[in-house]
Amino acid sequence: MATTAPKAGAFPSPYEIETPPGCEGWEEMYPYYALFDERRRETDENRFWFWNSMHFPMPMPAFDVICIDSPYQAVGAWQNRVFAVPPAMGIDYRCINGYIYISGNPVTDPEKIAERAQFFQQRAGYYFQNWSELYGKWRAKMEALIRELGELEVPDLPEYEPDEVAFGDDRNTAFYEVLDAYPRALRLGDMMWQHHFEFLLLGYGAYGTFVEFCKGHLPDIPDQHIAQMVAGIDVLLFRPDAELRRLARLAIETGVDEAFQQGRSPAEIDAELAETEPGRSWLEELEKVKDPWFNMATGDGLYHYYRSWLDDPSIPYASLIGHISALGAGEQIDRPTDEIRRERDRLAEEYGSLLDDESRSSFDDLLNLSRTVFPYVEEHKFFCDYWFLTRWWNKIREFGELLARNDFIEDSEDVFQLSRYEVASALDELVLTWATGGLPLGPKHWPPIAARRKEILRKLGEWTPPPAVGVTPDAVTDPMTIMLWGVTTERVQEWARQQDGGSVLNGAAASPGVIEGIARVVRSVDQIGDVRDGEILVCGSTSPAWAPIFSKIKATVTDVGGVMSHAAIVAREYGLPAVVGTGRATAAIRTGQTIRVDGSEGTVTVL
Amino acid sequence: MTGYIRPLHRLSRSDEPNFGGKSANLGELLAADIPVPPGFAISTEAFHAFVHDAGLEDRISSALANLSPGDVDGIGHASHAISEAMRFAPVPAALREQIAEHYANLGEDSPPVAVRSSAVGEDSQDATFAGQQETYLWVRGTEHVCDAVRDCWVSLYSPPAISYRARLGEVERAAAMGVTVQLMVDAEISGVMFTCNPVSGDPSMVAVNASWGLGLAVVGGEVTPDDFLVSKVTREVVREHIHPKDVQYVPDPDGKGAVRVAVDGERRAARSLEQADLERLVDVARRIERYFGCHQDIEWALPRGETERVLIVQTRPVTAISKKPDKPKPASAMSLIMSTFGAGPPKDA
Repeated sequence: MATTAPKAGAFPSPYEIETPPGCEGWEEMYPYYALFDERRRETDENRFWFWNSMHFPMPMPAFDVICIDSPYQAVGAWQNRVFAVPPAMGIDYRCINGYIYISGNPVTDPEKIAERAQFFQQRAGYYFQNWSELYGKWRAKMEALIRELGELEVPDLPEYEPDEVAFGDDRNTAFYEVLDAYPRALRLGDMMWQHHFEFLLLGYGAYGTFVEFCKGHLPDIPDQHIAQMVAGIDVLLFRPDAELRRLARLAIETGVDEAFQQGRSPAEIDAELAETEPGRSWLEELEKVKDPWFNMATGDGLYHYYRSWLDDPSIPYASLIGHISALGAGEQIDRPTDEIRRERDRLAEEYGSLLDDESRSSFDDLLNLSRTVFPYVEEHKFFCDYWFLTRWWNKIREFGELLARNDFIEDSEDVFQLSRYEVASALDELVLTWATGGLPLGPKHWPPIAARRKEILRKLGEWTPPPAVGVTPDAVTDPMTIMLWGVTTERVQEWARQQDGGSVLNGAAASPGVIEGIARVVRSVDQIGDVRDGEILVCGSTSPAWAPIFSKIKATVTDVGGVMSHAAIVAREYGLPAVVGTGRATAAIRTGQTIRVDGSEGTVTVL
Repeated sequence: MTGYIRPLHRLSRSDEPNFGGKSANLGELLAADIPVPPGFAISTEAFHAFVHDAGLEDRISSALANLSPGDVDGIGHASHAISEAMRFAPVPAALREQIAEHYANLGEDSPPVAVRSSAVGEDSQDATFAGQQETYLWVRGTEHVCDAVRDCWVSLYSPPAISYRARLGEVERAAAMGVTVQLMVDAEISGVMFTCNPVSGDPSMVAVNASWGLGLAVVGGEVTPDDFLVSKVTREVVREHIHPKDVQYVPDPDGKGAVRVAVDGERRAARSLEQADLERLVDVARRIERYFGCHQDIEWALPRGETERVLIVQTRPVTAISKKPDKPKPASAMSLIMSTFGAGPPKDA
């Protein structure tokens, strides 16, 4: 780890950022340790913090903070305490105006680094050597965890306990059941995050090494060619859309495709289908597909409002309508897997043949290892971020329903306006007053809090966070920051330059092509309905749930993400120019502006 | 009298000592079925015969005697004396006849040809120093071809060429040069391409420079050409820069030589090559690279009115490829991954 001399000036101090009007008191939503506190100002002000807009593009609701704490607990535990990545411990986070800034903790003592290297070599080596076997076990663990979550019941509070409690053995009363279920739900979430990060660093590391190797020896190789050589063919993440394509074809074959009219809601479509026999069989077929393939999130999963396709079928139905109309127009909608496989092998062979023998063997080695680790890299999102997490949020919603039924909050969704400790506290009072029959204070206490916070979040959502705060490092040397967020020295310097304004944004060239068009800034997935045909999508980042809008837009620009980010992958599939990781596109560009996206150079120009 | 001339298609690499590198390479290209405009090569022996017949040997060696590389005035005087003497010396009749015969074989009505020097025994970069890169375009008629051949020879004694040989301590060694005469391509678009990116060293790219008209403008650096970086693997354009191309060389309307003219307004900023053109160029570049087994610096031309035909007018090995300093050393996958995580030897060790 190179020492980095701090340099002040380019980015604001985290202590000098003003609270937007009307958002006073935002700090109460977050844990004390998540704030830039005067008591550690000397340290925190002299570090480099960047906005993690890849995972946290929107201000955090109080409950959702658990999806900051748990991931950073988990990633730190694996990175720092299990694998002991030599130069980097874990990642600290802080919250400013609801937005999350992160900063890695470096290891600088050479002796310590050498000591950690011993652990790392042995432990990471073990994982790489036994990857497929360990990953097989991992999938089994995840499936078991998802089952366990499904089996977790959120009890109701009855007027009288049933007879079994009175007459049966080992029966618990509802107060205990509630107080037992809630922490268990939280613990299952922690368990998921622990699984989530078990392989992640190593998987990305192996892939990142291959990328670096390619770029060293083939400096001009397009990023997407590297990705194409590694990417899986029959990847789990492609299944949901493959199933939708199959259902689209089935709808046409059985003559029920007329039901899928643009502008109809899923409920309207279902109602029409239910009227005919072929329609009903199509709906039966859909039911079979739903588990597990509709466990896709409509967003990147880290916010409670990213629901699954099961909860919000408008996204898969929009895809169905699109596929059916494409088929009607005689278009080929299948992923040409044979062709993709042939092309992937051809690229690998051709690039390999351009290297000298020694480099060729490193190239082949790294490519094989990258392909071995890649199923995890691609699939963990489906298991963790989508399938588990959307169901987990729903489980929390059930606690919200319990609170709402008892007037502790107005709407079950308001549970997410309370921190996880506040929910525990509300449940405590709820079961206490249920038990005692006393007058609960909660119905007077929590609703105004939830209402105020929703208003604060709305206003914070209109505020634009700077891409970084604190001191500008001379060099970014933290391998995790570079690997997972694509935050490199060049990127930070670019951000620093851009602090002065300027109409050109730089990012990673993720999908080639140059195009001009009208920008549509989309801050969260619930706004994707606003996107018009032919616009250029400007967003924080995307997830597979955004897939339907890729057929509408003509280019993509994101704030955060590398060439393996979802937006980049999908843009390449659709042949749209894409620039990812610009740091501030959503801040610098306004909807309606004409912009030029150069996906070959990685630049975005406001015209 | 033996033949001083051979058609290009009858040359191979082994003829380099007698015919020079340029001619020999064109012969190789033809052997590899690369489309090259037809032409013929004049041997170094023809040059010796010229010097001998004109009785110039002594004058040359006395003019060059005792020159040192730094003696700018001396070199200037020597160059002037030799050039003047050569310019007025006749091209030997036997050679003139052979030129006339081979020239006639290239076509009726005095077809325009390019006359170029073909250096011997020096790599291309040295040849540039040695001034052996003379090119006379759009030459028509046997007389003018003979004049152009003689002008190529004269260039052997340009001040930089003398100075270069003086630095090598070879000032008095008998210099020699072949000449290439090739049917002229009236290029609508022309340029150069490298079978790698010479800037980054990437071997998977073909770097193409292109501009309007004859290749002179690009080779001579008189325009900033359009610049394309094309993947050999997928033939897609990875990067491109379209520049304003203000001037071009076209055949003199009087039928002799090439003239520099301004490019019409709209055409200046226009993209010179389309995807299909680039794909054809890349395919030819790859064939040439495979044939020679090393990276090549290639001059190409697309004929007016039939730009779908790629013609190669010259190729030579690429001499300077920059190396990326941080190229990862070949090693086992595991040790490379370890260094990604800072758990191995540093990358540049």
